[in-house]
Amino acid sequence: MSVQSLVNKKKKDFIGLPSPLGYVPGLGRGATGFTTRSDIGPARDASDISDDRHAPPVKKPKNDDEEEEDLNDANYDEFSGYGGSICKKDPYDKDDEEADEIYEAVDKRMDEKRKERREERLKEEIERYRQERPKIQQQFSDLKRELKDVSFDEWSSLPEVGDARNRKQRNPRKEVYTAMSDSFLAKAVQQGQSSTAIDPRDQKYGGLDTPFPGGMTPGGTTSTDIDMKKIGQARNTLMDIKLTQVSDSVSGQTVVDPKGYLTDLQSMLPSHGGDINDVKKARLLLKSVRETNPKHPPAWIASARLEEVTGKVQASRNLIMKGCEECPKSEDVWLEAARLMPGDQAKAVVTQAVKQLPDSVRLWIKAATIEVELKGKKRVYRKALEQIPNSVRLWKLAVELEDQEDARIMLSRAVECCPTSVELWLALARLENYENARKVLNKARESIPTDRQIWISAAKLEEANGNIHMIEKIIDRALASLRANMVEINREQWIKDAEDCESAGSIHTCQVIVRAVIGVGVEEEDRKHTWMEDAEASASHGAYECARAIYAQALTVFASKKSIWLRAAYFEKNHGSRESLEALLQRAVAHCPKAEMLWLMGAKSKWLAGDVPAARSILALAFQANPNSEEIWLAAVKLESENNEFERARRLLQKARTSAPTARVFMKSVKLEWCLGDMKTAEDLLDDALNQYPDFAKLWMMRGQIAEEEDELDKAREVYNMGLKKCPRAIPLWILLSRLEERSGYLTKARSILEKARLKNNACPELWLESVRVENRGGLKNIAQGLMARAMQECPNSGILWAEAIFLEARPQRKTKSVDALKRCEHDAHVLLAVSKLFWSERKLGKARDWLTRTVKIDPDHGDAWANFYKYELLHGTEEQQEAIKKRCINAEPKHGELWCKTSKVISNWRLKCEEILPLVANALSVPT
Amino acid sequence: MSYMLQHLNNGWQVDQAILCEEERLTVIRFGHDWDPTCMAMDETLMNAAEKLKNFCIIYLVDITEVPDFNKMYELYDPCTVMFFYRNKHIMIDLGTGNNNKINWAMEDTQEFIDIVETVFRGARKGRGLVVSPKDYSTKYRY
Repeated sequence: MSVQSLVNKKKKDFIGLPSPLGYVPGLGRGATGFTTRSDIGPARDASDISDDRHAPPVKKPKNDDEEEEDLNDANYDEFSGYGGSICKKDPYDKDDEEADEIYEAVDKRMDEKRKERREERLKEEIERYRQERPKIQQQFSDLKRELKDVSFDEWSSLPEVGDARNRKQRNPRKEVYTAMSDSFLAKAVQQGQSSTAIDPRDQKYGGLDTPFPGGMTPGGTTSTDIDMKKIGQARNTLMDIKLTQVSDSVSGQTVVDPKGYLTDLQSMLPSHGGDINDVKKARLLLKSVRETNPKHPPAWIASARLEEVTGKVQASRNLIMKGCEECPKSEDVWLEAARLMPGDQAKAVVTQAVKQLPDSVRLWIKAATIEVELKGKKRVYRKALEQIPNSVRLWKLAVELEDQEDARIMLSRAVECCPTSVELWLALARLENYENARKVLNKARESIPTDRQIWISAAKLEEANGNIHMIEKIIDRALASLRANMVEINREQWIKDAEDCESAGSIHTCQVIVRAVIGVGVEEEDRKHTWMEDAEASASHGAYECARAIYAQALTVFASKKSIWLRAAYFEKNHGSRESLEALLQRAVAHCPKAEMLWLMGAKSKWLAGDVPAARSILALAFQANPNSEEIWLAAVKLESENNEFERARRLLQKARTSAPTARVFMKSVKLEWCLGDMKTAEDLLDDALNQYPDFAKLWMMRGQIAEEEDELDKAREVYNMGLKKCPRAIPLWILLSRLEERSGYLTKARSILEKARLKNNACPELWLESVRVENRGGLKNIAQGLMARAMQECPNSGILWAEAIFLEARPQRKTKSVDALKRCEHDAHVLLAVSKLFWSERKLGKARDWLTRTVKIDPDHGDAWANFYKYELLHGTEEQQEAIKKRCINAEPKHGELWCKTSKVISNWRLKCEEILPLVANALSVPT
Repeated sequence: MSYMLQHLNNGWQVDQAILCEEERLTVIRFGHDWDPTCMAMDETLMNAAEKLKNFCIIYLVDITEVPDFNKMYELYDPCTVMFFYRNKHIMIDLGTGNNNKINWAMEDTQEFIDIVETVFRGARKGRGLVVSPKDYSTKYRY
């Protein structure tokens, strides 16, 4: 204390100051050190400050200044002489020194005299001693040497020492808690009231052991003023003290976990939630009910349950047994008794019960479930069936336990006893061989003429045994007899049955059922609509045969309906084989020869299968059916050009130009020539075409692009301008012109062209996008942003603009922008793609993949999305994922998308397939940043 | 990171630092600033210092510059951290066998903060020995 008071408490004015002269660090503040590691450092010097913590109690210093040396004769020792020296107090002078030297010399001489002998003897003695009592280390040296042979496994499998103490010592008794006396509680109350400050003595002795001041004084607190509330509080206080004491003992080791202790107390409460008084009341009420009306079974059951809930199982058993005596004819009481009784007693109860009530199915079932062994169960069921032969439930449970042969025998008996149970009949039919099964089913039909399942299983049975011609007969008869028996034919149920038949492998039955039932209960005008719905539903349930049968039925009725043929064809394309598709298409074109689509599908299917001549012949037939159809002409041209028959293609196109001179035909002709590199013919054709169709913008574009390709920029510009005069609404033409100007370095001109285009075409997001990009490419970021804002005002719901806007923002704002974009165009592939790119750039790869998947799902025709997805998988995905994306892309055959078209429309790529374009586009893509 | 913390340059300063802190814990790291172990420990101390400033002050002492306590506190390890509260050396049961000090570098700031808090709470209650929230005995290292 005194040292601390010397220091200024507020300021730390010692930093950087030298120490006062002669200051001994540590001593200045009375510090004590410790000794734990004298093995590596010097243990403390005698001069060091001692460790007060372990110091022995200091003896009271004696008041006498010095203890006199004991010079008495009694202190004389024969060996060391007198205890002290008389001359100790005299000064040590020269004579003394000389005398000491002489003594020293004498001692030395005497010592040397027998030195050799003495040392030898000492050595001998030590050796003998060692031999007699070798060091423990030496004793075990040979064993120790053997230790090197002990393997690691042996070391690790050394047995544990184990605890040799007896059980009492091993498991010390738990602390015993004893209820506190009231006087003690009263004292605690007093403490809680009076002393808020902690008594230092309390602190020291741990609170509880402290004698409470004033507590014992009589009359201080009399028994009159003990009220229960205060006692409750006091109990809490005490408990709290006790808990903190145990949990926070000085050694720091928690003996009792206070929380666990409290939960323990909780679990000791009775398990049911109710009040004890309620239970008592209920008990009383039930007792009076029992006594007034002892023949009332629910009273007994309720009483037994109450006792069970309150945990008195024995009482509840007694009650229910009494109940059984009183109401021997109540099934419920017996069942309750069987439930409450343990094991063997339950069996006894049940036997009594079935004696009393031999006709109760529930009791018999209970009896069977109580039996543990299979044999016992079987026996019980047999007995039960003797008593109650017409219970379907008992029969079913009994049959379930038997093996196949016995089950068959039992079932044949069962159907005699319960002839109206369809399930039993069917189960029996399933177990019989073909002949018997037929007989069984026939019998079943006779006994239950109103059930369709029997008929259907009969049909299935016939199909399984190869009697396909029988199926139709059976189903027809089924419908007839069911109608005769006043059963309403429910179409949905029957179709569902048909689907079940298909999944069970009975394809023919399925088809026959569909054919028979499809027209039932459908209005004449609803037929087509309903059937199409049915077919789609079946297809979505995976019942393809069923759907096929429905389509077939529909097509026989509506042979000339193009839409049904188309649907059936798509169904076959998706779920059927190529052969079935081609067969269907052949029938289709026979019925609707004017449907170009069907012809084209047929040709394409042939062509994809590599059968070019067949495709050609189909197209030839198509020509006959539809002369001058542009679609078929172009399909034929495509077929030829794809198969490198360019001369044939040219001839076809020529013919097409004369017989069906449409703009598209002209365009395709020019394209073919352009692709084949015949620029001269292409330009001639273009001149021709433009004379006839001056307002077909694509022709102008082609002309301009050809000019651009040949580096005749002025000519291209002229062509574009002329084209724009004719077709001012052609957006791509405007964009081409502006790009041309931009490419020649006239940024202002490009800008003005786009402005003009925007004036002529209001609210066109493509033009706005191009304008923004022109500025962006020109490096004028802020102008681009201004333009974007204006564009957004004009076309607030344009996905392409939003997508561009997201990446126009600075990085931190992109997220909020993307949220806005998603709010505006939730289902726009461009926006979704932009968002997934955003995640990609933030390296949130999982999220990016999710969003890319969503993008390609929402618009599978969007090539850019596919390319991005592919690129993403190339960088971050596994090989399987890359392949999967490629396959999905090929299936989707995307045609659109800005970058996709840029690659796919390049003349040199004119014959590339989807799978070749995909990597090209993906390579051209840059990873979003 | 030692330059972020206050150094004490002689024994007198060390004593004063321990003495004049009335309400807070004094934590002293004995060692050398150039020592890798100390560097690691100092990093932790620096990170913890700001969070602990309400109830703890941290000093660094170079045991070559101030050899006065080497024998008294057995400062033979590269890095030693000791706790004092109102001129009382507070011991911690770390499970290592040496309850007097932390004689290794702690890498986890939060662990250190927890220990300091435990020491402070114990010291406030008048305890001379507290039990560390985590056992640092070597058997948990492997």
